Amino acid sequence: MSKKMKMGVLGLLLVTPSFLVLLVIVVLPIVLSFKESLKNKSGGYDLSNYEYLFTDKLMRSNIIFTLEVTVISCVLVLIISYALAAFMRFSQGMAVRWIKRLYMIPLFIPSVIATYGLIQLLGNHGWANRLLLAAHMGQLPRIIFDIKGIIIASLWFNIPFTTMLLGSALTAIPNSIVESAKDVGAGRLQIFFRFILPMTYKTLLVAVTFVFMGVIGSFTAPFLLGPNAPQMLGVSMEQVFSVFHEKEQAAALAFFTFLLCSGLGYFYIRSMIAEESVKNALLG
Amino acid sequence: MRWYFRAVGAKRIIAFIVLALFVIFFLGPLLNLLILAFTGRWNYPDVLPHEWSLKWWTFVFQQEDIANSMGLSFLIAAIVTGLSIVLCIPAAYAFARIRFPLSRFFLFSFLLTHAFPKMGLYVSIAVLFYKLGLMNTLAGVVLIHMINVLMYMTWIPTASFRNIHAAQEESARDVGAGPFLVFRRITLPMAMPGILVASIFTFLNSLDEAQGTFLVGIPNYKTMPIVMYSIISDYPAYAGAVFSIILTAPTVILLLAAQRFVSADVMASGFQVK
Repeated sequence: MSKKMKMGVLGLLLVTPSFLVLLVIVVLPIVLSFKESLKNKSGGYDLSNYEYLFTDKLMRSNIIFTLEVTVISCVLVLIISYALAAFMRFSQGMAVRWIKRLYMIPLFIPSVIATYGLIQLLGNHGWANRLLLAAHMGQLPRIIFDIKGIIIASLWFNIPFTTMLLGSALTAIPNSIVESAKDVGAGRLQIFFRFILPMTYKTLLVAVTFVFMGVIGSFTAPFLLGPNAPQMLGVSMEQVFSVFHEKEQAAALAFFTFLLCSGLGYFYIRSMIAEESVKNALLG
Repeated sequence: MRWYFRAVGAKRIIAFIVLALFVIFFLGPLLNLLILAFTGRWNYPDVLPHEWSLKWWTFVFQQEDIANSMGLSFLIAAIVTGLSIVLCIPAAYAFARIRFPLSRFFLFSFLLTHAFPKMGLYVSIAVLFYKLGLMNTLAGVVLIHMINVLMYMTWIPTASFRNIHAAQEESARDVGAGPFLVFRRITLPMAMPGILVASIFTFLNSLDEAQGTFLVGIPNYKTMPIVMYSIISDYPAYAGAVFSIILTAPTVILLLAAQRFVSADVMASGFQVK
């Protein structure tokens, strides 16, 4: 056996164990749940489980509710994160330094704890209401056990990570580009739409992917502080599986969320591969 | 001139408002829990507690299921970390140093763990585990914890191995060191910071994992976050706040200890190609 072949075999051997784990916990479950979702009550295969998702009143309202929460969260997270990242990139001063120091903290706080903190802070008798009452500023509307609570929790969980992604993309833009655009008389808006946005839109799309999938696939926050009905699909899935023991229906729900995210997931993988090819080409 | 000063003033004020909103929104909930944990009594609608006390700390440590859950959580996190090091570090070394067929396909296959909404993936896994008899077993819980860590446990060390110049290994080979000695004495120590950061993330991620465990581990494997689910509904807020601090403490301690190595740059290499 040649040395090249030996190394090839060694490489494959080193990669195989972790790849097998990947097969067992990602690929196999997805294939199996697809098969399971097509099973009907009498043991045959058809689309009855999917039909149920769209005909059952409760399920349909869950789907609409989930999409509503996801779209609102995505829009808010992206606007706020972009503004925050741009603020951190193009301003200096004490406030910016402090935000830079603090903005990664939420990434490391367990989701259960953050959700619990939000419940305590924003609940009916929570700290926020006590402070508002003391300042004679009235009361907060109902946030916990309401759609507002889920959206606020999504903001809490997604803004720091999205800001980090966008921040690194903005840092990569050289100051000289902005300066020279200013020199030839470009206005702020023009600089933003002509230079900054086109140079970061790819990262922006990766960020959309992460937020969209993160919110659709969330469980902890909507489970703890969401309304009883309608539910987010993550909560509904868990209930269908663990409480009602309807495995086929739960599988159909899971596969439905995959379909909702499939375009974005495909885009994410493709853009990562494209980026690596560019880097390899540059390195030769 | 006056116009200039006023403009600077406005900028400062906006910066301060942004900072204030940021602190209130992101740190307010955490500060609230910190206060609650040391509260004895706090009636509505007072802004601050009447009396401070540590009584809820003794209460929490006396609950048997809470103490058990801590031991279990650390055991599972240790197993997950050990197992993922053994499985992923060799793969990372291969991706960085060895040319083998389909290596790009294998490297990018790990992106799949991030390409699906989490709860959907967990439910699919639960369907599989149900068939395999892995529900409510230690193996099942460990496997479901691996999903979130598989990618950065492979990608971060791959980036660290790639950053080592081949010349350093070659010069060791030139003075007569065998391949294993070179790996152990040169390659491994130089890649250590990346491996360490990936391991710490893995450990913390497993410690905090709630949704997957809730789906496949109930009723026998109640880790700390699972116990937290029931504390939220069954116990007074003070006890919940104490437990929150206990659950967050390992994160704070480990991150402070590894502060030197943790940077946004290293973290980003776990999500994108560097």
